[in-house]
Amino acid sequence: MPKLTINGIEVTTAGPATILEAAKSAGIEIPHYCYHPGLSIVGQCRMCQVEVEKMPKLVTACNTSAADGMVVTTNSPKVEKARRAVLEFYLLNHPLDCPICDRGGECPLQDYTMKYGPGESRSVEPKVQRAKHVVLGPHVIFDQERCILCTRCIRFCREVPKTGELGVFARGDRSEINLFPGQMLDNAYSGNVIDICPVGALTSRQYRFQSRPWDLIRHTHSVCPLCSAGCNVVLDVRDKQSGNELLRINPRENMAVNRWWMCDEGRFTFRYHHDPDRLMLPLVKSGDQQHTSAPEAVLDSVASALAHILAAQGASSIGCIVSSRHTNEELFLVRRFFRDLLQTPHVDHRVRPVQMQASDAPEDAILRRTDKTANSHGARDLDVLPGPDGLDTAGMIEAARAGRLKALFVFDEDLAQERPDLPVADALRGLDLVVVTSLFRHATAALAHAVFPGLGFAEKEGSFTNYQGRIQKIHRALEPAGACRPVAEILGGLAGRLGKPLGVVTPEQIWTEIAAQPGPYHGIDWQMIGPEGIIPSEVRKEP
Amino acid sequence: MTETGAFEKVLTRYQTIPGYRGTLPEYEAHGGYQALHTVLGKMAPAEVVDAVKRSGLRGRGGAGFPCGMKWGFIPKDSGKPVYLVVNGDESEPGTFKDRMLIEEEPHQILEGVILSSYAIGCHLAFLYCRGEFVRGAQVLQRTIAEAYDKGYLGRNILGSGFDLDVIQHRGAGAYICGEETGLLESLEGKRGQPRPKPPFPAVSGLYRCPTVVNNVETLSNIPHILLRGPEWFTAIGPPKSTGPRLFSVSGHVARPGNYELPMSVTLRQLIFEHAGGIPGGRALKAVIPGGSSSPVLTPAHLDVTMDFDSLAAVGSMGGSGAVVVMDETTCMVRVGEIVSRFYHHESCGQCTQCREGTAWLHKVLRRIEHGQGRKEDLDLLLDMCDNMKGKTICVLSDAAAMPIESYLKHFRDEFERHIRDRACPFAGAAGVRKH
Repeated sequence: MPKLTINGIEVTTAGPATILEAAKSAGIEIPHYCYHPGLSIVGQCRMCQVEVEKMPKLVTACNTSAADGMVVTTNSPKVEKARRAVLEFYLLNHPLDCPICDRGGECPLQDYTMKYGPGESRSVEPKVQRAKHVVLGPHVIFDQERCILCTRCIRFCREVPKTGELGVFARGDRSEINLFPGQMLDNAYSGNVIDICPVGALTSRQYRFQSRPWDLIRHTHSVCPLCSAGCNVVLDVRDKQSGNELLRINPRENMAVNRWWMCDEGRFTFRYHHDPDRLMLPLVKSGDQQHTSAPEAVLDSVASALAHILAAQGASSIGCIVSSRHTNEELFLVRRFFRDLLQTPHVDHRVRPVQMQASDAPEDAILRRTDKTANSHGARDLDVLPGPDGLDTAGMIEAARAGRLKALFVFDEDLAQERPDLPVADALRGLDLVVVTSLFRHATAALAHAVFPGLGFAEKEGSFTNYQGRIQKIHRALEPAGACRPVAEILGGLAGRLGKPLGVVTPEQIWTEIAAQPGPYHGIDWQMIGPEGIIPSEVRKEP
Repeated sequence: MTETGAFEKVLTRYQTIPGYRGTLPEYEAHGGYQALHTVLGKMAPAEVVDAVKRSGLRGRGGAGFPCGMKWGFIPKDSGKPVYLVVNGDESEPGTFKDRMLIEEEPHQILEGVILSSYAIGCHLAFLYCRGEFVRGAQVLQRTIAEAYDKGYLGRNILGSGFDLDVIQHRGAGAYICGEETGLLESLEGKRGQPRPKPPFPAVSGLYRCPTVVNNVETLSNIPHILLRGPEWFTAIGPPKSTGPRLFSVSGHVARPGNYELPMSVTLRQLIFEHAGGIPGGRALKAVIPGGSSSPVLTPAHLDVTMDFDSLAAVGSMGGSGAVVVMDETTCMVRVGEIVSRFYHHESCGQCTQCREGTAWLHKVLRRIEHGQGRKEDLDLLLDMCDNMKGKTICVLSDAAAMPIESYLKHFRDEFERHIRDRACPFAGAAGVRKH
């Protein structure tokens, strides 16, 4: 545990550390470009040079170990001159097109130049001209003129997905980053190079020219819903004339989950929130047609049909299949509504084989997992499973076809699509009541008597439990579109109409009830679930 | 003639043998591989290291680092293989002595390789030969084959139980691969760019194993040191720059070429006695004493002795032993333009200051030489040099900056005249290439 002095401040590091890490731990900024905590250290940008007592030359903080008794200065005239020089060298051939650059406003080159750099250029030489807007792959566009050759993108591709599509070609000021012949930057994690690019050289084909950073009104912390890994993300929202729009998802550092990365599928799959084909109003069936209707009217008709079935056939003629894409709070309410209020044992969240316990597995050695729903772990923890003599998903379909089930609720699963092995269409056609929640029209929704428009994850508050058992909060970045309503409101509306009020409504209130009941989440206070999530067993170990 | 005139050639002794072609039988007939017979199995490796340490042999590639000390840095018990890599990537402008040793006395190098490998416990050595040395590479390949046939390479060399294999690798045309860690990267099949140090190659070199990288000329000295003893070696030249050295003299001299001399020779002797002085009765203007990266000297420095420390004391360096002589018809701005063009072309591009600085230096110097200079350019050049020196992974950036600084230091008036006249005053002068 080296104890050193940085700018007169005594710093003790927790373990072996570089000067840069030691400074960071003490809140002292040492500007840098090529260094990234998740990548190998190359010491090339020379931006992090600092003065160390008794060392004749400046040293690079990124690859010099902090040692006991070291006296480091990061702001001496010598350091400041060297830093200013590096910035001047960078800007010699940089196009300075900040006003039209996606990175402008959140650009380390811009920021450090403003903070440490020269006010104006001493160069009168023509700039080196290079390729503009080169398509590197399905998600990334490259502007070679803006590139400062920090090689983070190259090292990322070599070291994280280990695909190595990128390299430096030519030498000196003719050096340029490019694809190796015959390659495309199309690995499953390619979008990360956009985040780690310290300039606007690598930009997102999706986000390009969509916004300036200062036009983003919200940076909402959330969790990616597209698999059980639970990568931490930030949702960037812009206020447009047409309403708030989610424009970008970036990973959020969580060393216990996704470190600094996320996969391209998670990063770029969110435009459905604003899809014009999205369901905005509930649908009800009359005859063979579905037509839109007011939410309250649909709730009325579903409630009365449900009451009729309950009275005539009993609760065990009702089934519920709920996607583990839902939050813990939604799942808890679904379970309470069906298992406790209606008292049917037929509840299940398992639609795909991978959702069976322990069959969720890493898809690669990086982040992606085979269970493509966010919250199977939570569904298990909350016992969103068949009760005594209850039917599972396949059992419910079978029972429906055999006429033993009269009503089926399907929350956010396209059963017809997901289970082609089951006679879903046949089964659903024979039911007296099929209620579906969904964001879009799909084969299963088409068979429903009532369809409630569902919410995207960016429109929800709540929590997911990832494959590790880590409870992580998601926050609402967008107001629900159209007449889309949270599950709590739909179930609350039905319960009220059936004379069995559901009680709690907000995620925090629901969580309080979850934490109050016995089970894996017992005693976990809502406030305890911080930005990096919480694994209950790890908390309980502490005194 | 001075005492250096009586000096008996060591590395280039073969030049006195009529018809000598450097084949194995010829080398052996003139005392070659005797050191190998004397040392292998008869001297402990540590004794060999000690002898080289005591000889005071300093690296002939450019840095002048003590060879025995470099060997001594190899950890004894790393559990990893140890490699010897021969730096035959001679590319410093003005330098052409390794090429001659490779083409004309290759077995001397190979004997040095075998002895050095024995000393440091290396069983696989690599010869990294500059890619442009096509003939040299052919000669080396023939030499290696001859040595295998004769049992000087392979298993159980001379019954000593010592095994050694040697592989030649040809460079692909990059100055930076003469920098030892750039060379190692290139040898590993990667882009030739220097590694941050520490760790130094002795600890983590080729394939992250302990590695010694020695220059061709340095290794050529080893058989002689071991055969004739370190005391014989230290008796040649000044105490801290021992042994013979090859000086590649070029430029405005009557007899350009390689001269093997003790480093006690003065610059004046080298130019006017050995290289025959300046043709046409013209006056000496400037001398680059140790390759293009060394700061320039002027006639005022003619009496400096050509050893590492004396050259350092007058603000330059021994470098690679390349002495470039320039007479009064030479435009120093043009020299700066040419030298900076070279470093601009050869910078590997990984460090910011070097990648951008070498290009900027070249552009500004070219502009001044072509009559487009501005008054503020001279201070700008000096500040640029200051920003480039001592701040990068390797010293190419320093090598680009130091000569320019020295040209400005000694010939600032000439730069100012270019700017004032908006033209090169030497353009069209006799003996000067027109732009």
